[in-house]
Amino acid sequence: MTTHNEASGAGRESRPTGQEVVRITNLSKTFHRRGVKALGGVDLVLRHGSFTSVIGPSGCGKSTLLKIMTGLLPATEGEVLLQGTPVTGPRQDIGIMFQQPTLLPWRTAIDNVLLPIEIRSGASAAKAKTDDAMKLLDLVGLKGFEQVHPFELSGGMAQRVAICRMLVTEPAILLLDEPFGALDELTREYMNLELQRICKESDATAFMVTHAIPEAVFLADQVVVMTARPGRVEEVLDVDLPRPRTLEMMTTPVFAGLVRHVRGLLDMGGDAGGTE
Amino acid sequence: MSRQTKRRLAAAPMSDLELQWYEGSWLDRVPQWVSITVLGAAFIGLWWLIAEIEIISRVLLPGPQETFYEIYSTAQDIVTGGHIFDALMITTKEVFLGFLAAVAAGFVFGVIVGETRIGKKAVMPYLVAVNALPKVAFAPVFVAWFGFGANSKIIMALFVAFFPVIVDTAAGLFAVDADTVMLFQSMEASRWQTLRKLSLPSALPFIFAGIKTAAVFSVVGAVVGEYLGGGKGLGEMVRLNSQLMRMDRVFALIFYLGIMGLILFGAVAFAEKRLVFWRKSDILEVKGA
Repeated sequence: MTTHNEASGAGRESRPTGQEVVRITNLSKTFHRRGVKALGGVDLVLRHGSFTSVIGPSGCGKSTLLKIMTGLLPATEGEVLLQGTPVTGPRQDIGIMFQQPTLLPWRTAIDNVLLPIEIRSGASAAKAKTDDAMKLLDLVGLKGFEQVHPFELSGGMAQRVAICRMLVTEPAILLLDEPFGALDELTREYMNLELQRICKESDATAFMVTHAIPEAVFLADQVVVMTARPGRVEEVLDVDLPRPRTLEMMTTPVFAGLVRHVRGLLDMGGDAGGTE
Repeated sequence: MSRQTKRRLAAAPMSDLELQWYEGSWLDRVPQWVSITVLGAAFIGLWWLIAEIEIISRVLLPGPQETFYEIYSTAQDIVTGGHIFDALMITTKEVFLGFLAAVAAGFVFGVIVGETRIGKKAVMPYLVAVNALPKVAFAPVFVAWFGFGANSKIIMALFVAFFPVIVDTAAGLFAVDADTVMLFQSMEASRWQTLRKLSLPSALPFIFAGIKTAAVFSVVGAVVGEYLGGGKGLGEMVRLNSQLMRMDRVFALIFYLGIMGLILFGAVAFAEKRLVFWRKSDILEVKGA
């Protein structure tokens, strides 16, 4: 990961110093039939306990990258190492979350949380995990909502249940695909604060795709800015704001500077790649 | 009275929706049971008027009085187990067997079509096309194949009711949310697990829409089969009485056929309400035959 991030080379070693959880090396993806090169050699390292945001114009291959990391799409070249072993298919140590909560409406909150256990290890294993699931619901502030069905939950609450479902298998990496993109602005800010707290308390390593620059900067230890067609890492930007982050920090000059820097990078990509 | 309570509560802050409600026209404020009753009474009044001034000959269009009397005497026959009761039982049996067979077969084939790529790409377009055909037109064919007895009526009911079930079941399986499917893939769910724990439950509203249509269609199928003759059911009685110009009796029989269809439809709608509890489905959404 040397060629694409000269700009941030200086501060690289200062931030997340945890163990390497994910190492992505020269990852490429070409959709041959359409002749589209979606990813053109991506290198990234995600360290234990760190939060990484990925931002880029549409067509920069974010969702392709995420699918390969989930093990749902094979790479054309390169590989994703998770805890030392290459990702070749879906794995229990990968947790994912989407823009929509994707809860099963006929299941109660707790049964939704336990779904991954039930699928992998059967109903009795899920039952044995009930206490853990209750603790997770407590962690996200949904104590007392265990037996409630999703249609009785607000959008933000449903996403909290989705967070629990992602955490219940104790994955090594959380892959978040615009997790709060469908929520209104106020709920979204609040959920970002909550996500920060939950990640800290569960000691999680997170990788989030987003379209919102302030959100990307606010949550992240490193912001990965990508360019379009083929998707490449243009710059990895370290965010040295202290933790826990507060909403007030979003008004500081440092924060504004970081946001402006990311926006500048994306606008440049626009000149070359054709985005709005 | 409840309006006055509401007026008094107006001192408390009202929601935007409530405020808009008060601003709406008076028609919006009439309870639905009132509007239904008023419209029904108006219809019967108009019917009575048309029959009285004999725009259409009284023989062809009996008034509500004669019709209601005939409904009443038919009810007496049914309760005492007369020959109309026998006819009702025959038609009920035809409808019920045709309906059950249509639901069972439609569900099984719908799952096969919905779960296979060939089903989606090749079979489904044909099904949609056949479903759009006026299927009752096949009635003479079935009578020719299966005779004038009850069998041809059951098969007719099955035939017209089968397609909505298979098409809607397959469509429901196609409509499963793509992200949730991805979630199941990421959990390494087997195909069977995905079908049982995701696809089938999420297709239930579609499947029930198909079954509700089947409930309506199976009555149509059985009665059209009976119109062609040979049977001993209500449809046959409708045919005979219309040839005898006993329109009051025809109307009464149609009334009971309607009741039968409503009971079947209501039972399905009730089951749906219990099973698909997470979705507020509107009981008034029905496809016409």
